[in-house]
Amino acid sequence: MNPENEIVQAANALTPWFNGVATEIRELSKNVAALLERSLVGKSKVNTAAMVGLDELSREFLTKNSFAVGAGTFFAADSVEEGGRPLEWWSRNSSGAIGRLKFDLTPGSDRYYDYQKLPFFSTAASTGEQTVWGPYIDYLGAEEYVLTFTAPFSLRGNFMGVAGCDIRHRDLEPLIMPHLRLIRTNAALINASDRVILGNSGMYLVGERIKSESPRQHRLALDVPHLGLSLIFTTQP
Amino acid sequence: MSTPFQSQIYRSLPEIERADAIVDRITKAITLGLLKVGERLPPEAALSEMFGVGGATLREALAELREQGVVETRRGRSGGTFVVTQPRHQTDTIRDWFLSTSISEIRDIGDEHAAVAAAIIRLACERAEAHDIERLHELARALVLATSPEVRAVADSRFHIELAVSAQSPRLANAEIRLQEETVQQLWTPLAIVFDPEPATAEHLELVRAVAQDQPAKAGHLVLEHIRRNIFHLIDTKLTLGYARSKQDANEPRE
Repeated sequence: MNPENEIVQAANALTPWFNGVATEIRELSKNVAALLERSLVGKSKVNTAAMVGLDELSREFLTKNSFAVGAGTFFAADSVEEGGRPLEWWSRNSSGAIGRLKFDLTPGSDRYYDYQKLPFFSTAASTGEQTVWGPYIDYLGAEEYVLTFTAPFSLRGNFMGVAGCDIRHRDLEPLIMPHLRLIRTNAALINASDRVILGNSGMYLVGERIKSESPRQHRLALDVPHLGLSLIFTTQP
Repeated sequence: MSTPFQSQIYRSLPEIERADAIVDRITKAITLGLLKVGERLPPEAALSEMFGVGGATLREALAELREQGVVETRRGRSGGTFVVTQPRHQTDTIRDWFLSTSISEIRDIGDEHAAVAAAIIRLACERAEAHDIERLHELARALVLATSPEVRAVADSRFHIELAVSAQSPRLANAEIRLQEETVQQLWTPLAIVFDPEPATAEHLELVRAVAQDQPAKAGHLVLEHIRRNIFHLIDTKLTLGYARSKQDANEPRE
């Protein structure tokens, strides 16, 4: 089989998987929006009472989607009432138990988790579309090497926040490597900022950025809307 | 519930018993060539004190090492406990390491090793003396002369530890020892692909030459390439063992 066919075959296997994750995320953000619609009758800002039930949505998501290590909702700061909790994030620990993750949300504190500046929030907020960020070290968050998939949600046309999930890189590896291994030339899955998510050899290492395009290097974009994923591969001279 | 750095602060302690820990420590020291075959261990009382364990625990550990044929206890005037053989690499344990360590973790070990090695080689260029160079030369050659994976692992790690020693930094030397402990057996145990000692030796010799000529830029470049090649090999082995393209791939070591 020539490399182009192998690439297409791998792309055909990876595309539905990532679209599946994207569908799950959109579903979660739709459920979050519907819940807020019911609980926020007439009001425009979220308070603790209006968030009742969000925890259950996160837990359901994690129970259904074993690939994810964490799931939940981040609110835009100006859509939360003074004193309200601006996020609801649940994660699975090493023994499989699901618990709420706590963050330091005090501006100015040296462990302040300024999530509105993180691309999984800011990109979804500015584009109004689903997005993926990573792999990155979720410093001050889950403290893991993860990818975060999010989709924005709004209420009566106003952007309110994002809902999404974390996938640990080490959990993603066994899910996508078998497809990459079908490609016999050096190849990698890369994200929208040209960072390697996973390569099928030591040539493309996770976390590295593809900075120069050689004439022997080719790309094939995955048909997964807005996530910016592509396969990159090198042909023999 | 979780707080930042939780995974770092509360990470699980090693679950092995103290006697097992002693067996592990001595085995690793022999694997890295820090203890040589023929060498006598300190007296039992001194060992108990240094390890901070009771006599019974220490005797249990020594009995286990004797059982494995790694040490021998001789009575009499010139008696004591001696290292008698190089422990065999535990193929099953190493295979498990490859299966349970993710590619991002292997790459990260390489990142740390590259940082430590780059600092060591820069300082070695500044600080090594003629006798260090001679010794490094000898240790570099020992790798290609080694006839088993176990002896290659010793030769390889001895070279890198000695390079750190010539850099005059105990902290960097300790970091190098820890990194060698983590990966040197994985590198040389022929599980899926046999690692060729000849290019590795050539790279070691080139490093010695760059240090001898005080060429830090060249030496730095060489050492990063050297580590990159090691990490490629580890990732290649991980891919072959963990994501075999065919059954045959996983079972037969290839050259």
